[in-house]
Amino acid sequence: MFGYLQIHKDELKVKEYEAYKSVYCGLCKQLGKDYGILSRLILSYDCTFYAVMLMSLDRSCTGFHDGRCRFNPLKKCKFADCRGDAYSKAAALSVISAYYKILDDINDSGFFRRAACRIVKPAFHRREKKASKRYPEIDNIVREMMQNQQKAESDPDVTVDSAADPTAKMISGIISLEAKDDIQRRVLSEVGYHIGRWIYLTDAADDIEKDKKHNNFNPFVKSGKCDQEYISSVLNQSLARAYDAYNLLDIIDFKPIIENMLIYGFPNKQNAVLNKQQEVKDEQSL
Amino acid sequence: MNNPYEVLGVSPNATDEEIKKAYRNLAKKYHPDNYADSPLADVAEQKMKEVNEAYDEINRMRQKGRGTGSQSSGSYSGAQNSKYYSVRIYIQRNMIAEAERILDEAPASERDAEWHFLKGMCAYRKGFNEQANQYFTTACNMDPNNQEYRTAVNNMNRQRSYGYGGYTANPDASVTGCTICDICSAIMCVNCLCNCCRSGF
Repeated sequence: MFGYLQIHKDELKVKEYEAYKSVYCGLCKQLGKDYGILSRLILSYDCTFYAVMLMSLDRSCTGFHDGRCRFNPLKKCKFADCRGDAYSKAAALSVISAYYKILDDINDSGFFRRAACRIVKPAFHRREKKASKRYPEIDNIVREMMQNQQKAESDPDVTVDSAADPTAKMISGIISLEAKDDIQRRVLSEVGYHIGRWIYLTDAADDIEKDKKHNNFNPFVKSGKCDQEYISSVLNQSLARAYDAYNLLDIIDFKPIIENMLIYGFPNKQNAVLNKQQEVKDEQSL
Repeated sequence: MNNPYEVLGVSPNATDEEIKKAYRNLAKKYHPDNYADSPLADVAEQKMKEVNEAYDEINRMRQKGRGTGSQSSGSYSGAQNSKYYSVRIYIQRNMIAEAERILDEAPASERDAEWHFLKGMCAYRKGFNEQANQYFTTACNMDPNNQEYRTAVNNMNRQRSYGYGGYTANPDASVTGCTICDICSAIMCVNCLCNCCRSGF
């Protein structure tokens, strides 16, 4: 995944920020416990968001305890306690998505990056196997998405919608595994779909210049509409629909954190991506 | 029904933007989420219904005043006796594949505004926002007086400008220096200090 699902720190209360950080640290610890110390390096904001959502949905966070950071023993940090399997699921998703990302990179990156990916691939494959044994349904959803993505991109009639569909369906599938009933499944699936679509299209917007240079597939380049205003309206709509659907969930735990992400964090990230893109364009025109 | 303007708490001269804002605030306030565990849930639901009706009523009245007048209201009842009745039922039940199959069978010569609107609905339900946007816009261009199509386009535009909370398209706007509040509190502080001195004498 891509690290776009972040909080906007300025708009959080200190205690909420601490709570978020303690989930982040808790997930890091779980990665170390389940998949070895090196896999802590693949800790991502996206999977932290997933862990926060899981803990909120099954209300499994029981409190916080103090500890020390493994990488920097001088730093004290807090860990969120969880009585469910939110951490181990989020750790499994981290490992699985990291492995498929590497497979993807081997397919379409430059010589050096490809070589580096080949070297680390076996280590990731081993961990991915372990994770998929525990959560085969997550592994299936991610694998299916990779296949559909290739199919979608090689289709001559590909559009912005159809290119974003596999990622959107993946997040939708993963998050709706948590549903307790049919109505909640529909709501979660809608929230997931639009967040997934937003992730894919934000990533695409981020890569426009790079993809143009290397002649890689990019949905915005392909559709011929790369202006910032258009892209931002496309991304806005995904966030708006995700937020509308989110409002139908009865979230209690971590509510301010999740809302902070949807209302400030994601738009903030989107602005950062789009403004960066604008800067690149300005430089070229100078 | 009560005066719709009263229900929304705005004056009849309010601009569309003000009405939309008032409606949005009320809708947020009476949102079922806020009353999930409350014994007042049914009350909130009733309020929400009133607000919705009032907003629709105002929109309808204003649309009529603005449009060509005679035709515009008739198009709204078209839903029941439409030739795409079964398609609408399928969409309502979230059976999008069936709805699309029937639509795609229609020959190109019979693809009218409603056909485009319903194709847009299917795309929208699937999350294909760009496709939906194109179909809705086409439907609206083919039949500009139809309230249903116009509402769909307006809804798309609302979402595309993402009016929730902190989103600002212009990054500079989020940096605030000295607000009215700062000035007021500064004046209050000075005032306090002055009073202190005076009482000391």
